[in-house]
Amino acid sequence: MKEEQKKTVLEKYKIALQKGERFWPDSIYKDLLVSLAIFIVLILLATFLGVPGEPKADPSDTAYVPKPEWYFLFLFKFLAVYGQIPLLGKIEWIATAAIPALVILLLFVLPLMDKNPYRHYSRRIMALSIMAVFVTSMVVLTVISGIPTTSGNTGMSAMTLLQFLTGLVIPIMAYIIIVGSSFLSNKLKLLGSRLQKWTAVGGSLSMIVVAGVVILIAPPAAPSAEVQVANTLTEQIIAGQDLYSLNCVQCHGADGEGGIISGVQGLEGFNMKAIHSQDEMYTRSDETLGDIISYGQPNLGMQPFGKSYGGALSTSEIDYIVAFMRYTWDDRSVIPAGAVSTIPELNPGEVPSWDVHIQPLVKRYCVSCHRTGRQNNNYLMTSYQEMLTTGDNAPLITAGDPKSLLLTLINGHEGKDPVTGNVIRQMPPTKLLDPKYVDMLTRWVMAGMPQTAKEAAALAPTPTATPTGGVAPAVPTPTPTP
Amino acid sequence: MWKKLFAWLDERLALNELYKATLDRPEPKGNWWNTLGSASLFLFLLQGVTGIFLSVYYTPSPDHAFDSIQYIMNGVAFGWLIRGIHHWGATLMVLVVFIHMLRVFVTASYKYPRELTWLIGVGLLLCTLGMGFTGYLLPWDQKAYWATTVATSIAGSVPIIGSFIMKALRGGTDLSALTLSRFFAAHIWMLPAVLAGLIGVHLFLIIKHGESEFPGKDD
Repeated sequence: MKEEQKKTVLEKYKIALQKGERFWPDSIYKDLLVSLAIFIVLILLATFLGVPGEPKADPSDTAYVPKPEWYFLFLFKFLAVYGQIPLLGKIEWIATAAIPALVILLLFVLPLMDKNPYRHYSRRIMALSIMAVFVTSMVVLTVISGIPTTSGNTGMSAMTLLQFLTGLVIPIMAYIIIVGSSFLSNKLKLLGSRLQKWTAVGGSLSMIVVAGVVILIAPPAAPSAEVQVANTLTEQIIAGQDLYSLNCVQCHGADGEGGIISGVQGLEGFNMKAIHSQDEMYTRSDETLGDIISYGQPNLGMQPFGKSYGGALSTSEIDYIVAFMRYTWDDRSVIPAGAVSTIPELNPGEVPSWDVHIQPLVKRYCVSCHRTGRQNNNYLMTSYQEMLTTGDNAPLITAGDPKSLLLTLINGHEGKDPVTGNVIRQMPPTKLLDPKYVDMLTRWVMAGMPQTAKEAAALAPTPTATPTGGVAPAVPTPTPTP
Repeated sequence: MWKKLFAWLDERLALNELYKATLDRPEPKGNWWNTLGSASLFLFLLQGVTGIFLSVYYTPSPDHAFDSIQYIMNGVAFGWLIRGIHHWGATLMVLVVFIHMLRVFVTASYKYPRELTWLIGVGLLLCTLGMGFTGYLLPWDQKAYWATTVATSIAGSVPIIGSFIMKALRGGTDLSALTLSRFFAAHIWMLPAVLAGLIGVHLFLIIKHGESEFPGKDD
């Protein structure tokens, strides 16, 4: 900039100052107001949206698809779209290093590069046009970042092509036209700046339109498997209990009492020691317990459960199981109120329902074995339908029949397979259920296995016997159900 | 009494001159767009304050980082609020700083005599992004771990010096305890120090040259 120009700039600024205001007290209130508004917005966001929970880092879980912070999404999408260019797309560093470095460099040297002495918008068409195209392409890339770049099949699909168009081709064409038209001779200056203006407007609009089409034709995103994240201790203990019921009960028993294992390949008949004792709890730290679950104890027959070692549990899930064990069995820890997903108690005369009573009971004591992939005579108990209809000896429960196989077994009697004649031992195999739960299941079967609490309530008036002690149900008036 | 006290302090601290230099400045007629810079400063200070509170309970080790944040969220009084403000403040700060940059670009305020102010502003923008990047790993959750794995491996694709950059960032070939402590140090010491220094120069330049006026038709 020439010295004269500098002088005019400074003089103009002096006049602007004379016509202006004072920072204090004329305009500072605006700054304070905006800051206060931001503060309030942040408090509202923190209170009502909070910070979304995530499971603990798990280096073994390589299937995890990470998402960067939203303000880096445009860069990730840019890399993905760039990678679709034939040949050039394989040279990764151009997109990962060269182009971002160039953009940052351009930003740094902008005041030195921009020799245009004017400041008014009408005289800076080129600079504004380039920036408009750049910002629009950033926004567009961010918006379509959630849509997969390739549709799976090889070659360029229409989807990929459109994204390619809006993310790369249109902006690059626009830059070329805008910069190119600045080289037009002086006579055509007006035409040039008009061309730049309309390129920016047209380019931006077409990018938005193409991105809109991409969003419209995008296949509906597969519902991402919601990872359950237990945030509070209470949630962790409950999650741990569910995981324990599923993964550990078969060998360690529903309450960690151990016993003779049955139905587990390789450990049949092994007498498992109790793991809920004071001895165990006092001598093992949380870390040790977590490690044992994660690594397993191969020489004792325990398989590893941690994902890193071939199991199915994530680091967070193992932590939940440890929390459940610690808070339920260790007499030094005080379990927080509401931290145990208890099976609701029955009032005298009340009819239990699947939804309220049976489902949590079964989940806690039976599902560990009675789910797909286990040795269980194909009797599954994970849903209401399964419980009624599955099994080699189906039906295991008949409404109103006290001799239903299930009731026989949970009362500690042996049953006989009607087809093969094999003897089926008591259930659960190691330790019978608490009498009150035997009673609960008995009442449920006698009442006709209601599914919802409403159905159960409708059945309630019928006098139902409440056998005490839980041994052989003696029901005077079985309720007939269709 | 107050007058005397003020006079005594003024004699020693030059309060009046300070007031004239920083607050009682003349400036051109501005509008609401001019508040974005001070909003960025406010967000920086807020991030600093909430960050200091968080560092009281946060432990930068892979074994305890996740649990310490769980504790901040559930165990510490108003810990959820402090972390929530820090979390959303980061998002808002990137947004506000970026819009501030756009405003300066559109009004061409980066031109003479404010070229250096712009240059330092770009540095501030990069530092802010760096804060976002390093802060993302600290919770040591799945998202943090894998996003950082991907991002650092992208840095590794730079020709020749790529693998050096990646190892420098990770403190080894893989993400480890060293990565976490490096990111932590960068997030709470190095980047904030650079940010604070640059903000100081940025503010000095603004006071020195005054806030730019909105361009008129003949500018």
